[in-house]
Amino acid sequence: MRLLGRIARTDWFGPLVITLVAVTVIGGLSPAFLSSFNIRVLLQAIAVNALIALSQMIIIAIGQMNLSVGAIGGLAAIGFAGMMEVWGLPAPLAAAAALGIGLAAGLVNGAIIAWTGISAFVITLATLSIFKGINLGITEAQPFYGVPAGVKAFGNAVLIGPLPMVAVPAALAAVAIWVTLARLHIGRAILATGGNPHAAELSGISVPGTVVAAHALSGLLAAGAGVLLVARLQIGQPSIGDDWLILSFAAPVIGGAILAGGHVSVAGTLLGVAIVAIITQALVLFDIDPFLVQVVLGCLILGAVGLNRLREVRLGRGALLPS
Amino acid sequence: MVAEDPPLAAPASGVARSDGRVRFYLTNEFGLALLIVLFASVFYALTPGFLSAFNLFALGRIAAVNILIGFSMMAVIVTGGLNLAIGAIGACAAMACGWMIEGLGLPWPLAVFAGLALGAALGLVNGWAVVVTGLHSFIITLATMSIFFGAMIFLTRAESFRVLPQVFSDFGRMKLAVVVSPLFLVALGAGAALMLLYRLTVTGREMLAAGARPEAAELSGIRVGRMVMLCHALSGLLAAVAAMLVIARNGAAIPSMAGQLGQDWLLPAFLGPVLGGTLLTGGKVSVTGTLLGALLVTMLINGLLLQQVGEFWIQTVLGLLLLLAVFLDRARRGYLAHRGLA
Repeated sequence: MRLLGRIARTDWFGPLVITLVAVTVIGGLSPAFLSSFNIRVLLQAIAVNALIALSQMIIIAIGQMNLSVGAIGGLAAIGFAGMMEVWGLPAPLAAAAALGIGLAAGLVNGAIIAWTGISAFVITLATLSIFKGINLGITEAQPFYGVPAGVKAFGNAVLIGPLPMVAVPAALAAVAIWVTLARLHIGRAILATGGNPHAAELSGISVPGTVVAAHALSGLLAAGAGVLLVARLQIGQPSIGDDWLILSFAAPVIGGAILAGGHVSVAGTLLGVAIVAIITQALVLFDIDPFLVQVVLGCLILGAVGLNRLREVRLGRGALLPS
Repeated sequence: MVAEDPPLAAPASGVARSDGRVRFYLTNEFGLALLIVLFASVFYALTPGFLSAFNLFALGRIAAVNILIGFSMMAVIVTGGLNLAIGAIGACAAMACGWMIEGLGLPWPLAVFAGLALGAALGLVNGWAVVVTGLHSFIITLATMSIFFGAMIFLTRAESFRVLPQVFSDFGRMKLAVVVSPLFLVALGAGAALMLLYRLTVTGREMLAAGARPEAAELSGIRVGRMVMLCHALSGLLAAVAAMLVIARNGAAIPSMAGQLGQDWLLPAFLGPVLGGTLLTGGKVSVTGTLLGALLVTMLINGLLLQQVGEFWIQTVLGLLLLLAVFLDRARRGYLAHRGLA
C-alpha cells in the first residue's frame, strides 16, 4: 500500500497512466495505430522531440526559460547540413561541429545571463533573434539539399523491430541527463540553484557557474535535436526549430516540472513528449483537423500547469502535518 | 514611490540643477530622440531617398503598427507580467473583423468594433487565467497563444478575407499633408490616451501601484487582481487596434500577418518598451519612451533595408539592439544609483 501510494505521488505516474490509456483507446479504435510502421514513425518523432523537451527542461530546472531553443537547434541543423554540403566534411565531424555550435550558443546565453543578471526571458528573446538571423543570413532561407546518403540512411534505419536508429542517441541523452541530475554534483547544483538560489550560494554552489553550465547543456541538447531532425527530414531546412517553443514547454510541464525551478522529472518529460506525439498522431489518424493540434497543445499546457499547481499546494500543506 | 516619478523630471532648484540636468540627459527619452536624429542624418547622408516624402509616409505606416504592438506589451509589463499572445490576439481580431464583413455582411464600423472587443475579451481571458491560477503570465499566455491561434486557423481554414470595403485600403493609402499617414495619427492618439490614463486617472495610477508592489497596493485598498485583468484586457485591445491598422495597410485580413502563432510580433513588442525604459519588473511605464523606441526600431530596419543590408540579417541586428538596450539600461541605472539620483 505504502509503495503504491509513493508511486502514485511520483511525477511520472499520472503521465504514464494517460499514455497507457491513450495507447489502448486509440489502438482499440484504429488498429493501424499499433502497426509496426506507425510505431516507428511515432518513435522517430518522440526521439527528436525528447531532446527538444530536455533542452528546455534543464533551463526550467534552474528556474529560468530559454526562448532560443528552436533558434539554436535550427542554427546547428543548417550548420550540420551546410558543412557537409559546402565544405564536404564527413558526417561525424560535421555533427560534432554542429553540437559545438549549440554548446557555444548555450554558453553565450548562460554567460550573458549570469554576468548581467538580466532576466533570461529578455536575453534569450534577443539571442533567439540573433541566432535565427544568422541562420537566415547564411542560408537566405534556402535549404541545404546535399545531405550525404549515409546520414539519410541513418535517419530511416531501424535498430530492431520498430525501434528507429534516431531513438538511440535520444535515449542515451535522456539517461545521461537523468544521471547528471540525480547523481552528479553539477546536476544537484542545477536543482539546488533552481530551488533556492540564495541557499545554494550559501552552501558553496557557484550560482553563475551553474547557470552557465545549464545553458550550455541546453544548447547542446537543442543542437542534438537539430542534427537528428536533418537526418530524419533528409534536408537542411532553415525553418527547423521555428515551431519548437510550445512543445518544449508542454512536455516538461506535463511531466510535472515546476516552472519556478528546482523540480523536474526526466521520465515525466519523456512521457510528456510521448503524450503530445500520440495525440498529434491520433488527430491525423481520425481525420480530425490537424489545425487543432495547436489548440490541444495549449490546453494540455494549461491543464498540466493547473494540476501541478494543485499538487504543489497539496504537498505544501502535507509537509506541515506531523508525520 | 517608483510610480510617482514622471519620466522627465525638470530641474527643481539651484543645488539640484546640475543633477537634474544629468538626469535629463540620461533619460531614455532624450537618448532615443538623440539616436533617432543621429540615425536619420546618417541614413539621409548615405541615401537621400530616406527623407523623401514617399519613404517618410511608408515609415509612418510601419511605425504605427510597431508603436501599438509596443504599447500592447507595455500595458502588461506594467503589472510585472508579459503577454506572448499579442500576435495571436491581433490575428484573431483581424480575422474576426474580416469574417464579419465578408461572412456576415455587417457594416465595417460594427465589424471593426467587434474585432476590437474580441481583442479586449481575449486579453481579459488571459488576465483572468493569470489571476485565478496565480501562475506567471508567461506560461498562461504561451498556452493561450497556441489556443487562440490554433482556433483561429481552424475556424478560418487559414484563408484570408480579401474582399473588404474600399474604406480600409483608402485609409491605409491616405496621405495627410503629403507625408503623414493617418495610421501614424492613430498610434499617436493611442499614446496620448495611454499617457492620460497613467498620469491622470485613478485606474491608471492603481495599475502602476499594483505592478510596483502588489502587497502594498492590496493593503491600500486596490483590488490587484482586477487591475491585472484590466491591464491584460487593455493589452488585448491595443493588439487588436494594431491588427486593424495592418488590415488597412494590406487591404485584407490575412491569418499569417503576424507569422506562425503570431510570434513575429514578439520582438518588436519588447523592443519598444525595453528601449523606452519600461521596467520589466513592473510599476513604471514610459509611454513616450515606448513610442520613440518603436520609432527608432522601425527607422533602423527601414534605413538598413535602403542600405541593401540583406533583409535576412535584419533579425540579427534587432536581436543585438535588444541586447544593447538592456545593457545600456542597466549601466544607466547603475550610474544613477551610484550618484544617488534614482
